[in-house]
Amino acid sequence: MIENRPISLSTHRGHTRDGLLFVIYQLVIIITISVLTACTSKPTSVPTSFIDVQDSLCIYPDYRDVTVPANIAPLNFIVTDAEATEFVANIGELVCGATSDGKMGFDAAVWHRVLSGAKGQSLAVNVYAHRKAGWVRYPSFNISVAQEDIDPYLSYRLIEPGYELYRQLGLYQRDLTSFDEQVIYENNRVFEDDHNHCINCHTYQNYDSQRTLFHVRAAHGGTVVTNGSEAHKIAIKHDSILGAGVYPSWHPTLPLVAFSSNKTGQVFHMLHAEKIEVLDEASDLILYDAETNAVGNILRTDRMLETFPCWSPDGTRLYYCAAEMPTSIPEDHTAMDIAMRYDSLLYNIYSMPFDAATRQFGKPRIEVDAASMGRSASVPRISPDGRYLLFTLGDYGQFHIWHKSADLAIVRSDDFAASELQSSNCNLLDCEILNSPAPESYHTWSSNGRWIVFASRRDDGDFTRIYIAYFDADGHARKPFLLPQRDPEYNTLLLKSYNVPELSRNAVCISQSQLEHVVLHTEAETAQYSPISNVY
Amino acid sequence: MKNEKVKSEKQISLFTFSLLAFFLLAWVWASWWMGDIFRVAYEQSFFASDATLMHFLLQKSFGWLWLAGRALLTLYHWPLLGGLLVTLMLTATTWSMAKLLRGDGHSPFYILHFTLSILPACAWMSWTAWTGLNLFYETEPGRTLGVLLVMFIVSAAIALIVRLIRGKAAQEQQHSEQDNRNNITLSLIPYFLSLVLSFAIPVAITHLRHPYARPVTRMQVQLLHDDWKGMVATAHDNATLSYRPLAAYYAIALVHTGHLTDALFDIRLDYDSLYLYNYSRKPDNGTNYYLVDCDYTTGLFRAATHKAMEHLTMNGPTLYSLKHLTRLALLDDAWSLARKYLSIIDKAPFESDFVSHYSAMLDNPDAVAADPEFALLRRTEPVIDSFESQHQEPTFLGYTATLTAGRTPDALMQSIMANLYSKRMPDFLMRCEPLVGSMPPRTIAEGLVTQCVKNPDILKAFPQLQMNAQIYRGFLQNVQSAMTDRPAHARELFDSYRGYYPYYYFFGNLKATRKATDKEHASSNVGVN
Repeated sequence: MIENRPISLSTHRGHTRDGLLFVIYQLVIIITISVLTACTSKPTSVPTSFIDVQDSLCIYPDYRDVTVPANIAPLNFIVTDAEATEFVANIGELVCGATSDGKMGFDAAVWHRVLSGAKGQSLAVNVYAHRKAGWVRYPSFNISVAQEDIDPYLSYRLIEPGYELYRQLGLYQRDLTSFDEQVIYENNRVFEDDHNHCINCHTYQNYDSQRTLFHVRAAHGGTVVTNGSEAHKIAIKHDSILGAGVYPSWHPTLPLVAFSSNKTGQVFHMLHAEKIEVLDEASDLILYDAETNAVGNILRTDRMLETFPCWSPDGTRLYYCAAEMPTSIPEDHTAMDIAMRYDSLLYNIYSMPFDAATRQFGKPRIEVDAASMGRSASVPRISPDGRYLLFTLGDYGQFHIWHKSADLAIVRSDDFAASELQSSNCNLLDCEILNSPAPESYHTWSSNGRWIVFASRRDDGDFTRIYIAYFDADGHARKPFLLPQRDPEYNTLLLKSYNVPELSRNAVCISQSQLEHVVLHTEAETAQYSPISNVY
Repeated sequence: MKNEKVKSEKQISLFTFSLLAFFLLAWVWASWWMGDIFRVAYEQSFFASDATLMHFLLQKSFGWLWLAGRALLTLYHWPLLGGLLVTLMLTATTWSMAKLLRGDGHSPFYILHFTLSILPACAWMSWTAWTGLNLFYETEPGRTLGVLLVMFIVSAAIALIVRLIRGKAAQEQQHSEQDNRNNITLSLIPYFLSLVLSFAIPVAITHLRHPYARPVTRMQVQLLHDDWKGMVATAHDNATLSYRPLAAYYAIALVHTGHLTDALFDIRLDYDSLYLYNYSRKPDNGTNYYLVDCDYTTGLFRAATHKAMEHLTMNGPTLYSLKHLTRLALLDDAWSLARKYLSIIDKAPFESDFVSHYSAMLDNPDAVAADPEFALLRRTEPVIDSFESQHQEPTFLGYTATLTAGRTPDALMQSIMANLYSKRMPDFLMRCEPLVGSMPPRTIAEGLVTQCVKNPDILKAFPQLQMNAQIYRGFLQNVQSAMTDRPAHARELFDSYRGYYPYYYFFGNLKATRKATDKEHASSNVGVN
């Protein structure tokens, strides 16, 4: 039998061949290990001899001359130099090396030590490249360290930027002092028709993750409201209100949420600089009381489209955007009637006083008259000290994250008069440094008012990324920097957009499993209708 | 004793021979019969060693297994190599099972055991065949080879464990005793029958349940190589098959070969069930299968981008969507976006040719303009903006059929053909107005004469169509008896009138006929009111 046939290797020649093979085998292993080690080892010290070159340094993300908080995670970056085989960067005692891929990953502990010791100062960053002729040093750049820290937690939604369908998306919280990202809630990892749902519009009360909410759409729909480590699901619907709550804003101290209620649709251009228009066929403002589970209309109008409410930091005024429907849009208009006149909808920013004791709203007043400039303002955000109004200014409409013309704009609170914006040289602060030819939107202030966090499509035009900019006490914005990642290539490879960045002082204190239970296994409690009286 | 030993050796030789035959047949099946299907599955998949890119997969249950399946699928970049890998796993599984069940000639029931040994491989092949294009369409493309990998590992592990438990010596002794006891009749035929059956079943399933799967994927592979003539030839070879994806890729090939106006109706366009299922495992007509390709080919780049992004959203990154998005970004002068997609594709193995070809166009509008494919497709790009939702779906048909302003005469021709296909004859006639005084292309001429009875002025406008009108009248006489039950006679008349538009108008795509009739009724109701 074949299997019983002895296989003889015990010949002299066999021994010799085996020995030779063994030696070759050992050599191959040693050479492979040596080559791999040589290829992957990173330089660990600053070169002692080098030539200064004037070549412009090509790094991604562009962290040159930015201002950062001392508590930010290391600004890892990629250096590109086709001629170089290894790289070194140093910031004082902090030294970092990279192989030919140019990926610089700083030691977090040393990074934080260096930055903590340099608050209010500028740090020089030197980058060296090892070319054929030897080491070269590029012109150095600076990283300024601000006196003020940023809130340590940043929440956002990650979702594909196109366009109608959704499958897997989630809310995440990033620890800005490190690269740790925690899942707040994720929807279906595997597509299931019965459980397919979208989540959106997460928000916190006054930078505190004790009170939060987010919406669930489609299957298991409702609004999940959390209070500490407890959560429940509500359904905001009633014949007297337009529809469910959409864009939310927590009152800074009371258990109240102002929502816009929107009948929203989107249309896709066939040939246009913009790809998508997101339009409201109708929109109103509603107020939800989280303690009594009651909802009422703040503004219910036929020809005005109100949206994006935002409380002032002291809770005495409610800001929002509103546009008057052009007369060319008929009374009994359809969604397509609105779509066909998409560029005629110009939004202004209004505010109305709020009396916390009586829970009454006063007469609205216009704050930013963008329409008179032929422009449209959206997403108002008041700085925590109440001195600045940050918003986006675009050519038309309100969903500016899809508008290339959308730029961040800031006005001082004492300039909030409508007349100030009626000339082309209105009192907008110079914050051009924040903007790019791509859309900027979904902006927010840090709790100390020194940092502006926003989403921008500037990297590639389609996928939003988070940028952080310093805003000094005199009202000057500094060059924004991209949210740092452990692997700086992450931002290039990630096929999702960062959506609605929200800062908070503390981490979300409710677990994902608790939220899953609430979303998947509890029925939404319908809010009761409770009319709100306005004093005008 | 010596005779029995010889017999046993013969059994083993037979087993070895059968295994070799199995290997060869499996290779033919995996690389030729199923080669194009797996090749397209590779395009509809994406594999990279980067954790960020594969996160969407790894977070799923069995994510690592699907990742492994995708990794194996990458070898189908070259179907012969991918097929070899599949064959090796199938053969190794069969060998392990044979060792386990003693179908290798050591058992008196060796034929039964050998048949059982083949069973897992046969079951996997049959399941793969039964799945058809759902091997990758709106499902996880790594699943099929992931399952095969598990099957291979499990069978090998069990065989090994059993061998260890039995003990080699005891096994040998047992074999020897059995061999000595039994007088086994040696025959090649049972082995042969088992083998033939194990391949006949999956081949028959593919042929009977998904007859379109191989031609459609063949055309897609030809599309990857810009082999437009090959696509046309494949469609013509399978002209009697009637499935939407086949028709869609045929039309794409005709756009590229410039024969849209004279060959569109050369294949049957009636659309049988595809036995395809969507994400929710509900029956699907397969529109999403070709939507991006069709929107792209008709110059509707924004609509193609929209659909490609949705493909990306629902399936995660695939080479198919990423490659389309790269081209579409280049056509939109969105260099950073194109660079991003190229850097992602570059992480996938074996895609350096694509990356280097399109990287050369980055930041270089002249290079984009000089690309012959882009130049051709741009000839039918819209000239005025509108919204997708203003047009009937699918957009490549709805938009093209209602086109009011075209960039080139090609756009007009596509619009005319879209109306002929949709049997929207009033729109068709309106779009033919610029052709008055000229001799229209054959199919358009045939379309015009179908309207002569209702509208005699057509022959005044196109006097050169007298002969066509005469032929049309002859056609009507010939098919008069079939008019009473058109669906019943559609297939038998196809061979006689293949490519003749009046046949399509009356007997082809009867679903479209019903729609057009309903619309005409609706219009007349409006008139009456």
